[in-house]
Amino acid sequence: MRLAPPRTSNNSNNLMPESRHSSTFSRIDKWRSLSVVVLILGLLSVGCDYNSDMTTFSTAGPVAAKQALLFNVLLWVMVVVFVLVEGALVYAAIKFRRRPGDPLPKQVHGNTVLEITWTVIPTILILALGVWSVQTLFELDKPPAGSDVLEIAATGHQWWFEFEYPDADGNGTFVTTANELRVPVNRPVHVDLHSDDVLHSFWIPRLAGKVDMVPTRNNHLWFQSDEIGVFHGQCAELCGRAHALMKFRVQVLSEEDYLAWVNGFGQEPELSAEATQGQVVFNGEGGCVVCHSATGSDSPATVDARVQGFLAGRESPIAPGPNLTDLATRETFAAGILDLNRENLRKWITDPESVKSGNYMSGRAMVYQTEDGTTKLNQKQVSHVIEYLLSLK
Amino acid sequence: MATITDVLERPANPTGLWSWITTVDHKRIGILYGVTAFSFFLIAGIEAGIIRMQLAVPENGLVSPDVYNQMFTMHATAMIFMAIMPLSAAFFNFVIPLAIGARDVAFPRLNAFSYWSFLFGALLIHSSFLFGQAPDAGWFSYAPLTEEPYSIGKGIDFWALGLQVLGVASLAAAFNFVVTIINLRAPGMTLMRMPLFVWMTLVTSILLVLAFPVITVGLIELTMDRSFGTHFFNTVGGGDPLMWQHLFWIFGHPEVYILILPAMGIVSEVLPAFSRKPLFGYPVVVFSGIVIGIMGWAVWSHHMFTVGLGPVANSVFTITTMLIAVPTGVKIFNWIGTMWGGSIKLNTAMLYAIGFVALFIVGGLSGVSHAVSPSDAQQQDTYYIVAHIHYVLFGGAIFGLFTGIYYWFPKVTGKLLDETLGKINFWLLFIGMNITFFPMHYLGMNGMPRRIYTYSTEYGWDFLNLLATAGYFVLFVGMLVFIVNVILSVKNGKESGHDPWDAPGLEWTISSPPPSYNFAKVPQVLGQDHYWIVKRQAEAAGTPIMGPEPFVDPATIHMPNPSYWPIVTAFGLLLLAVGFLIEFPWQYLKFPIPIIAGLVIFTGVMGWSFEPAAPEEHHAEGDHSEEGHH
Amino acid sequence: MAHVGGQLPTSEVDHTYTTTGINHRKLLMWVFLGSDCLFFGSLIATYMVYRGQSLVGPYPIDIIDIPVTTISTFVLLCSSFAMVQALAATNKNDQKGIQIWLFATAFMGAIFIGFQIYEFNAFRLEGLFVWTNLFGSTFFTLTGFHGAHVTLGIVWIMVLFFVARKGKVGPHNALDVELCGLYWHFVDIVWIVIFTLLYLVGGFDAGPVAGVLTEPSLLSLLA
Repeated sequence: MRLAPPRTSNNSNNLMPESRHSSTFSRIDKWRSLSVVVLILGLLSVGCDYNSDMTTFSTAGPVAAKQALLFNVLLWVMVVVFVLVEGALVYAAIKFRRRPGDPLPKQVHGNTVLEITWTVIPTILILALGVWSVQTLFELDKPPAGSDVLEIAATGHQWWFEFEYPDADGNGTFVTTANELRVPVNRPVHVDLHSDDVLHSFWIPRLAGKVDMVPTRNNHLWFQSDEIGVFHGQCAELCGRAHALMKFRVQVLSEEDYLAWVNGFGQEPELSAEATQGQVVFNGEGGCVVCHSATGSDSPATVDARVQGFLAGRESPIAPGPNLTDLATRETFAAGILDLNRENLRKWITDPESVKSGNYMSGRAMVYQTEDGTTKLNQKQVSHVIEYLLSLK
Repeated sequence: MATITDVLERPANPTGLWSWITTVDHKRIGILYGVTAFSFFLIAGIEAGIIRMQLAVPENGLVSPDVYNQMFTMHATAMIFMAIMPLSAAFFNFVIPLAIGARDVAFPRLNAFSYWSFLFGALLIHSSFLFGQAPDAGWFSYAPLTEEPYSIGKGIDFWALGLQVLGVASLAAAFNFVVTIINLRAPGMTLMRMPLFVWMTLVTSILLVLAFPVITVGLIELTMDRSFGTHFFNTVGGGDPLMWQHLFWIFGHPEVYILILPAMGIVSEVLPAFSRKPLFGYPVVVFSGIVIGIMGWAVWSHHMFTVGLGPVANSVFTITTMLIAVPTGVKIFNWIGTMWGGSIKLNTAMLYAIGFVALFIVGGLSGVSHAVSPSDAQQQDTYYIVAHIHYVLFGGAIFGLFTGIYYWFPKVTGKLLDETLGKINFWLLFIGMNITFFPMHYLGMNGMPRRIYTYSTEYGWDFLNLLATAGYFVLFVGMLVFIVNVILSVKNGKESGHDPWDAPGLEWTISSPPPSYNFAKVPQVLGQDHYWIVKRQAEAAGTPIMGPEPFVDPATIHMPNPSYWPIVTAFGLLLLAVGFLIEFPWQYLKFPIPIIAGLVIFTGVMGWSFEPAAPEEHHAEGDHSEEGHH
Repeated sequence: MAHVGGQLPTSEVDHTYTTTGINHRKLLMWVFLGSDCLFFGSLIATYMVYRGQSLVGPYPIDIIDIPVTTISTFVLLCSSFAMVQALAATNKNDQKGIQIWLFATAFMGAIFIGFQIYEFNAFRLEGLFVWTNLFGSTFFTLTGFHGAHVTLGIVWIMVLFFVARKGKVGPHNALDVELCGLYWHFVDIVWIVIFTLLYLVGGFDAGPVAGVLTEPSLLSLLA
């Protein structure tokens, strides 16, 4: 085996045509690289979806906006770095291709000036970005001082979200609801995050980055919406079988609409004849009231009993269930996965396991301890219960 | 001391299957690691296929949520612990002794033990499928989801105990390579003359030695929670779920450097070889690798930015994580500097090496965006992270390992892999990889969480998911091409000769495949890129080197004899793990099996320690009975 | 080139060659001990993080018996001294001394284990099991694994003892004794750390009250 002149390649199947030009970057190569760059930049802009309800690109509040700003600036820095570095790589791979007859290249071992330059400059850039990131971190840790903050406590359960307002309207009104959070527009909302069982995460992409719900910890985040509307959220920490089906919504209302909702909470609903019969089933044969409150917030004793029941495991038919007091004002139910209508309610009440496999309702409640896990109630009773639920405003 | 070797002699010249079972030859062990790891890589790839098929369309019902959770858990666990790490180990095994001019590793039997423990641990975890109880809490198995009552059944126990066995395998191998690299370098090979792959293996092995005990403790505590009712991570008893996360990620972050540094080492050798220039900035690249290894201990909580540690802790880890990008970038610049002004041969190995750099740049950049914790609050637990992971682990580690396969295949087999099939394989993987994983950046930032078995069509994630699934099939075909290439080339490949690439490393001075003793005479190393120096000196002197180092009669060279004690001891370890897992209807075995396992391990270690170096020395005077080859 | 006068060239490798001059197995032992440091370090860290977090008793202050454990600690320290003597005897080829000192080391180690068993049993009678509370979980796991290390060490020493009784231990294989000694001293040092933290410092911990980890510390920043 000889060192010089260089051998031709070992195989004759080389698919890369060896250019017979001199080793300058030929016009063909220039067009190739330009098309690659254009392709890449084109690809980059295609995917950002500004219309999705779960996107982080279309923010509706200051917290998400600051986080998005940081990301967007970083994104452009990354794009520039990518084009430069990737470009240098591709350029080198093409320009310095071996051609037959090429001599041994200059055996360069390094360049101290280059090493210093490409260590110091990235360090400075990174430290600058780092300082800005840390500033943003501290800014976003608490709502702006002196603002009128709405305090909320959110508890993650397998697989639904519980929301409590210690003081929903400034007059000490205590509200408990589930899966749909109602907040007024243009006011910071501070959320205390808990979990009763495993890890969950509270995430409303258009309004704020997520914070996990860790049992035994009091985590917290805050957000504010500058737009009236409905925002989608989802649990973002694997929490078991139905993790994919644990969603929630945030309804951002005008101040009046919000107060109207607070005032209406827990008021006696108007019940039709059917709905009254449904109420009887709800409190009686169905046993729903054991886990679900429908007449206002739960007392601490009730809450405690349900948690203890849950921890007692399969021996107990009790687990905390979503508070249904204002169910009829919600858009969705079963943790944001089904639109609220008669058909879906029937599907859910009749056979919850087929909708959300592993759920604790059909897992624990006596009324579901049947051979196939469907309800012991007949469809007439189910209809009555549905009417009752749809009256809960 | 009377031992079993009175009855069953230490093998001297075994043949066939028994020769593979008792081998202590690093080259054979390397092949065993490679073939086994690749098999598990394919299995994990099938699991990925199931994931992608389930996510191809919204509200799909291909698999149940339980099975889906098992799929992504096993896919990640297998890829990390049973594919990438052992594939790296295959290269450590085959290449390192050759690259440093040694006859074998420092402890050949310990080496065999590592392999058998790896095989048994991997089989143990995968056997969980047979019982329908594969682990399903994700590859980092956060508590309290892994505690009872949230994880009933044995899935998590299979995971924890299997990882313990795999951990023993990794630790044994790491001990071996630290001692081998420090202590068995040929004369003249100072630390700063070691090939880059050897350096990165040393750093990786030190990381393994220090990081694995931490996860060992975490797994012990998790197993104790599940089996003995302790409260380490069990909130009911006062335990803190974050304790698990800290223990896991203090291991877990060095672990990702364990995954990438060997691939970086391989690329750092292949780029110079096919640019016909030495590595640009060798001392800086070495130093960057060391710095990454050290700084890797200071960044672990960036995996925990969203668990509520508070702004002070988050700030610290933001800064340390961003700073670790600097040595990584420096390496990338030095790789480009190596190619710059070179004479580049774009064969498959080189394409993979360049592809590694190209894809790692993307993965590294997305990593920097994760480091910024306010924006990580949006990215964490979404497909944006999944994209980052796969760019660095598939585009990075796997591409680096494929670089090594194409580069060292001739040394292992004496044949060349076909270049046409190789290039088709490369382009299919490169294009497929980008089609599968680039859309995931968008999916994540558009709000798609990870680890969800299905999604709703209302969020506009449908098209990109379908695209990602299509990319999977491109990868699938690419892998088929690779397998075909290997099979055809092993059978009918072109003879490679001892030095097909005109490469600088010591391993190319000997025949392909090497003789059992590797080097007949201990090489005297003249500098970095030793063989280039030798070849050019010979060329200049008018006596160019035409062939490999001359052969000698293997019978004149004393190599360590094979042994069956490593596999026996590894089997005892497997039995111990099985003992913990035994449940109904064999629960009466729960006490005896660990006892038997303990006896097997004890016998194995005793046999190993007192085994004569060779059968004929069995009756010799006691002097060497304890200084037997290890 | 392969043949020289019809004879194949033979190897000239020195079997005891090492790049650093340190024996392979000694280097291996040091690397292993480095790893074991992280192992015990993680267990100790778990104990330290969970100090004062037990929800129910018994608490350390109720049952930790420093005087008794001081005795067992002293015995273990003496066993390290015996180990040093065993190595010295090996280097001097004092066959009787080798056997005596090896046996003494193992014997004192066994006494230490005896004290551990006594202590675990005393705690059990007080109602502290590994599943009782965080103190039980962390204490028994940490000291249990340490005891397992000591036990394995005793087995190792006894094997050496029986080999020594056949006259097969001497200056030519003093390394084998030295390696065992390194391991034994390491296990002893770990015990000193455990004794200091779990007994002398943590032994006075009461229930989840103020006074334990109230100062903002690095640990509390992370916990």
